[in-house]
Amino acid sequence: MSGGQSVAGEGATRRASEGRIGWLFDPALITVALASVAVVVAGGLVQVSFGTYSMTVGEAWRAVLDPAVLLDPRWLLNFLVGEGLMRSITGFQGELPELAHGTLIVWNIRLPRVFVAVVVGMNLGISGAIFQAVTRNELASPFILGVSSGAGLMILLTLVVFGGLSAFLPLIAALGGAVAFLIVYAIAWKNGTSPVRLVLAGVIVGTVFGSLQTALFFFADDINVVQSAIQWTTGSLTGTDWAQVRMALPWTVVAVLLSLAGSRQLNLLLLGEQTAKSLGMSIEKVRFALSGVAVLAAAASIAVAGIVSFVGLIVPHMVRNLVGSDYKRVIVGCLFVGPALMVAADVGARLGMGAITGADAQIPVGIVTGLIGGPYFLYLMRKRQNMGEL
Amino acid sequence: MSTDHVNTTGIDATNSRDGSAGPDGSNGVNASGSAPDESAVTDPSDLDGEDLVLGYPNAERPVIDGESIAAEPGAVTALVGPNGSGKSTLLKGLATQLEPADGSVLVDGRDVHAMDTKALARKLGLLSQESTSPNSITVEDLVYHGRYPHRGFFERTTEEDAHAVERAIELAGCGHLREREVGSLSGGQKQLAWIAMVLAQDTDVLLLDEPTTFLDMHHQMEVMEIVETLRDESDVTVVVVLHDIEQAARLADRMVALKDGEIRARGAPEEIVTEELLADVFRVDADVVQTENGPRVTPLRARHEE
Repeated sequence: MSGGQSVAGEGATRRASEGRIGWLFDPALITVALASVAVVVAGGLVQVSFGTYSMTVGEAWRAVLDPAVLLDPRWLLNFLVGEGLMRSITGFQGELPELAHGTLIVWNIRLPRVFVAVVVGMNLGISGAIFQAVTRNELASPFILGVSSGAGLMILLTLVVFGGLSAFLPLIAALGGAVAFLIVYAIAWKNGTSPVRLVLAGVIVGTVFGSLQTALFFFADDINVVQSAIQWTTGSLTGTDWAQVRMALPWTVVAVLLSLAGSRQLNLLLLGEQTAKSLGMSIEKVRFALSGVAVLAAAASIAVAGIVSFVGLIVPHMVRNLVGSDYKRVIVGCLFVGPALMVAADVGARLGMGAITGADAQIPVGIVTGLIGGPYFLYLMRKRQNMGEL
Repeated sequence: MSTDHVNTTGIDATNSRDGSAGPDGSNGVNASGSAPDESAVTDPSDLDGEDLVLGYPNAERPVIDGESIAAEPGAVTALVGPNGSGKSTLLKGLATQLEPADGSVLVDGRDVHAMDTKALARKLGLLSQESTSPNSITVEDLVYHGRYPHRGFFERTTEEDAHAVERAIELAGCGHLREREVGSLSGGQKQLAWIAMVLAQDTDVLLLDEPTTFLDMHHQMEVMEIVETLRDESDVTVVVVLHDIEQAARLADRMVALKDGEIRARGAPEEIVTEELLADVFRVDADVVQTENGPRVTPLRARHEE
């Protein structure tokens, strides 16, 4: 703020020496990352400790860090890539060594659920961040361009009409979201698009698909089908295990890398269409490609957890408030804050009802994220003068 | 509205080129192109709009209906005219922000719509009338965005980028603002930051859309001085839309006056800023006095006859 000519020279050299990853060493960003990791670890420990088979925190720690798993690549691969692939990689044909009872429960049932929450949180976070830049609207969510309505409709169709296909439900849901996004884009397209046209088209498709979805509920005569549909359309991590981790992880890696690579384009989009264009950006191509990345991330999370609302909306918000608007930092921040929120919310979803009512029931995590998200927005609305602009 | 009296008061673009030495005498140096500075190996760039038909998607008739304009290489061309005369539209057309319904825009003889968008953005820069940015971005980061067309998809900033940014910040005189967040700046300071950004783009042709409008006197003069520096010390071809005809006359080597989407006159400032033209184009009776700081216009009354 002070200083004149002499600062100018230093600025140039600072920039040059900062290099490719220098921007990562930002105090605010590091604080956010560390705090988020702490929340994930704490939430994860609660998740692995409590449940029908209760352990003390010490026991849970020991189970998580059990060398019988951590130091045995066969077990690790067995979890991460599945048994078949593990056997073909290691050439191991016999029986895997026995694990302690606690270790088995933690690694087979409780830990993968935490990992799924982490992956879903990352995906929703970056997806929301991208959509907010693309639409230049900070009230945009991963589901703004029809993704959730398309996925929801396909979920209902599969469960109610094509029951035989329910094994492929995750894929069908993700695909439905992607197709709805393409429909939205096609509707919005008229010699190019604009953020407003995209959002309006998203509302149109959302309304129509939402009605169809509600209509389909009438044809569901089995309460189990309805409950299953509600779980999918509000987002739930109940019963997720390593299969879900394996399904989402590759797409998550792709989406994360692409969104980091696209962060400079996102920064430029924030300067407005006119400026981006006059700086030589092929704005329609970039917008479509980035939206595609965001839909990929959203679809990956839908495939494993259904439609979890609010996470993709508030995570980029929180991150922007903490680290500023530079999208390189925003994306990295979302990779930490998203999982923190998801893991914490899932603690509430899995154990909350039990703690409050004593009943052994789980609620969909989407309900908890909504209960957190609403008040957070109320707080933002009270605190800030102008919402909506980015 | 028809085009049949185009150029009745006009002066052909090419005829006046050599006679366009400004009142202060320094204008002619660049206009003749005889004094290229050491940084420019090539000649200054041409920007030509030929038979441009420009309009907006939902409008019935085009705003500009078949006009041609040639920006003088290495000099400053000012577009003036009353509200709604189409001067900003013409500039947007030249900047490829508006796709012409007919006609073409050529930079150094190449059609801009056939060029790669980044290659074009290295040739031609635009400062829009209204620019938005996130509030928390620093001025320096904003200026670095001007280097976008010079960088590949995965490339990091180079020494060259850093130098271009330094030069731009120095020329725009916003070194003291570099660490400030754009959201905390006044309107005039913001404009300087945006000018620095478009200067960092390092283009041969620069289009400025009303860069002084809404600024206080100090910042108006700052902006004027930046353009004067470009005019006197570089080979950049500048086309600027200005609301203030006195400013335009002071700044420009050549002026183009528009009314109702037609080019009514073009030529050196002293040929354009006349009582007749003010009556015809701006519909005001005015006194025009030539001074050493360019013509002084004293508007007397609005003309109501039609």
